[in-house]
Amino acid sequence: MATKSGNATALTVLSPIKNGNLGETSFADITRERCLRLPIHEESPLAKVPNTYLARLFILDNVFYESLPANDSVFNFSDITSIFSDSARKKALPRKDTLKSKYLVFSSNFHGDLDTYLTGVWEKWSYIDHEGTQRDVRHIWEHCVAFDRVTDASSFIAYIKRCQLDASLFFNGSTDDSLQEQLKSLYLKQEFTKFAVEHQGKSASEIQQDFKAFIARVQPENLEGPTWQAGKSTP
Amino acid sequence: MSNIAGKAYAMNVITPIRWYTTWTNKLFFKAALLIPETLKGLLTLSLIHYARWVIIPRDGFPRLDPSQPKEELHYAYMLFFSNFNGSWDQYVDSFTFAIPSGLDLFWKWNIRYPKSVPLTPFHDYIRHNQIDTAHYYNAYPMAASNDVKSAQKVKKALIDFNAKSSDKSADDFLKDYHMLLNNLQHDFGDMKPTPIVSLSSYEVKKRYEQTKA
Amino acid sequence: MTTNLDLTDIQGNIIKAYGAYNFQKARYLFLRINNGDKGRQFVDAITAKVTTAIPWGKSENGDVAVEKPRVTTNIAFTYSGLEALELPTASLREFPDDFMMGMSKRKDILGDDGPSDPENWDKIWKEKVHIWISINAPDMDALIERYNWVAQQVEASDGGVTLLTGHRGGDDEENLPYQDASVLYDESGNPTPKEHFGYTDGIGDPVFEGQTNVAARVLGRGKLMRDGSWAPLATGEFLLGHVDEAMEYPKTAPSPMLLSRNGTYMVYRKLHENVAAFNRFLDEQSKSFSGSKEMLAAKFAGRWRDNGAPIVNAPDDASKDEWDKAFEAADFAGKKRMLTDFTYNNDLHGAKCPYSAHLRRINPRGSLEYGVKEAYETPGALVNRRRILRRGLPYGAVKDAARDDGNHGIIFMALNADIQRQFEFVQQQWINYANDFKEGNDKEILLGNHDTKHPSKAVLQVEPGSGKPPHFINNIPRLVETRGGDYFFIPSITALKLIAAGMVDPT
Repeated sequence: MATKSGNATALTVLSPIKNGNLGETSFADITRERCLRLPIHEESPLAKVPNTYLARLFILDNVFYESLPANDSVFNFSDITSIFSDSARKKALPRKDTLKSKYLVFSSNFHGDLDTYLTGVWEKWSYIDHEGTQRDVRHIWEHCVAFDRVTDASSFIAYIKRCQLDASLFFNGSTDDSLQEQLKSLYLKQEFTKFAVEHQGKSASEIQQDFKAFIARVQPENLEGPTWQAGKSTP
Repeated sequence: MSNIAGKAYAMNVITPIRWYTTWTNKLFFKAALLIPETLKGLLTLSLIHYARWVIIPRDGFPRLDPSQPKEELHYAYMLFFSNFNGSWDQYVDSFTFAIPSGLDLFWKWNIRYPKSVPLTPFHDYIRHNQIDTAHYYNAYPMAASNDVKSAQKVKKALIDFNAKSSDKSADDFLKDYHMLLNNLQHDFGDMKPTPIVSLSSYEVKKRYEQTKA
Repeated sequence: MTTNLDLTDIQGNIIKAYGAYNFQKARYLFLRINNGDKGRQFVDAITAKVTTAIPWGKSENGDVAVEKPRVTTNIAFTYSGLEALELPTASLREFPDDFMMGMSKRKDILGDDGPSDPENWDKIWKEKVHIWISINAPDMDALIERYNWVAQQVEASDGGVTLLTGHRGGDDEENLPYQDASVLYDESGNPTPKEHFGYTDGIGDPVFEGQTNVAARVLGRGKLMRDGSWAPLATGEFLLGHVDEAMEYPKTAPSPMLLSRNGTYMVYRKLHENVAAFNRFLDEQSKSFSGSKEMLAAKFAGRWRDNGAPIVNAPDDASKDEWDKAFEAADFAGKKRMLTDFTYNNDLHGAKCPYSAHLRRINPRGSLEYGVKEAYETPGALVNRRRILRRGLPYGAVKDAARDDGNHGIIFMALNADIQRQFEFVQQQWINYANDFKEGNDKEILLGNHDTKHPSKAVLQVEPGSGKPPHFINNIPRLVETRGGDYFFIPSITALKLIAAGMVDPT
């Protein structure tokens, strides 16, 4: 399964949304608005889910019709016959597909194994929505097909796994360290850069002394802190 | 809220493939995994945190309950999700000029894929099939993928240096310290918020911040 | 390389940097159109005197050539100028967003903040600027003569156009009706290629297909090929209606084709130079720097101040002496070559020319491949779509080198087929930001929009493995500030005639 690259994992979830509506708003549009209005960065519920590197939510309303110039690189017999026959010409056009459900797409890049991660999603996902109400993960998935059967972490994990698709190729252009490790590293990089600049040209003993104090302050091996907060968007 | 979260841009592309040619894509993806050379350009470009290609067979859309209508599709579908630094409009040129044949290999068998050069048909093909992200979360909005990789190096070097050199004589300490700085000289880039890569998304973010205030 | 440019149809300022032809003086005028009919008549009158790109003096290969004129005149329009000239909506809507918005509305893209914010610009930029007219001449007499002629045309337009005032001048003027620019002179009154910080400017503009004498000029100025040779860039990177590097016609061209072909976009920026801050900063920083002050100044720019020697080939004071000797001994062509024909292949780590140096940031040549063998389709893959033609001259005089105020800097003009992809990309991603250089948010030293609230630094790299620490320069002040500008469309002669006649028809 190519869904892992080292310890980095690619999770792709397509959860079908119930057809139908609440009042004059479809379940898909309700779900979309809930996603669009999620607080961002430090306040995103995903900032609380351990080991989430980058993740996204969107609604797949339908697939697209390829109304684009004909330039397929695959040879089609119909390309030839279509010159002589109008019905063959029509057949050479791309087919039109229509999805019967809309899907909530959740795509996450995270560190570690899936069950642990999804437990974190179930337990930690929380936020205050734009109207001031405290919400958990069920608010986003509420209108998905069969989600009413999800009652606890294990049924949530089972549900997500039924919605999961494997990746054919997962490209990792970054690291597969734990998020805590990545955030601590970023913190250290920023702090050590400042230290190096401020200590340029100082005496050996002064740098040495200050370096020890620096290490005591930044605690390079302590992943708990001091460090960057997940989702930290300003210096 | 948008396709942008700090320095990362979320791209979602869904494109049809003839169900009987999906094996060629899968074969190429397998080759890409086995032969690192194929991804050399992408790695050197170093703009991507994580990206993935997912192929959904015609009967592969999740169906969770008999009440959910069964999908009846002519095509299989390829999903492409990428997290890269900069915006698509800004960096489409960098991608197509650096790795045109790589892009062609990834999408070659997709219906009506135009090839990566000339650029506008390629740009338009991706745009045509792109779905905007409703919520995008990035654990480090101020860091590009370059920064995450560089930070990993800094942390290790710092811990090693501290263990080996912090208690040496002042002169030896300084010598090692200078070696440390030399070794890390390409890892000292500041990390601050991203430049504004899109005025529209900047306006959206400003309005969002106003409602928070 | 068989493209033959229609040099009689292209405005001369696109092809020629007039300064290189000993046109030492320039005057830039900005006008507002009050009435479509009269505005078009005015454009018609100016068009008769517009300087084309036809070669001057003796022709080399049988091209039609004309005598070098005593003075040049060129004209360009903002988007609202084209609206005022009543171009059809079907044409107007095809212009690109960046041009339609204009420069001040792009301030968040460009990093024009703090002292560079449009609210601090010369007063003229509060006006509705529609037309840009430039006059270049070898001396002030010729310049003023042509200026007076333009003023007469304004007069004759009977209120159809207004010559706008509001340029800041060197003697506390706030309301000049023109922006003057001039080469700087040395103590004996000889013209120099310098700007106010003392750098030698205007070396190595891009070379593209269709220009004359390409083979001799392309080294270091075209695009770097896999075999190490240089080829001219595609014409369409700089002229609309021609095929560009992406093997297509620039998509920034509005229809009809006659409106856009042989035209291009121009970014006009009045860039104030904080001379006192620069000198103080250089003095201060050179105290802790191991080389000479001049070497440090060269590290900032990527070229030595005195003669423009590329620091990548003259990385320290000793090698600079050697370079100077070779330069002295070289003939004219050899000198040109020494100034432009180089890469960073022997300086992958920036030990010679730092990653933050001006020269490396605005044209990294093949260096964004970071020495990974054949990582990209071509070594210039990330560069060839980001090139700009640079035009302009210094303005004002430094009356008191201990002060930053006053009115002195550079009138900078960038010409390109796609402002967003070329000029704006370089300004944002490479000058005010550095992810492509793996330097995070570190800004280019000279032009970066450094901010006193969040002081920026730059790393001057050293040889890896040498055991030496890199040199940090810290607390970089805002050395260059934007004082005004806008985005303009420079039409071809044909397009000017169509616009003047009200005959633009995209049907």
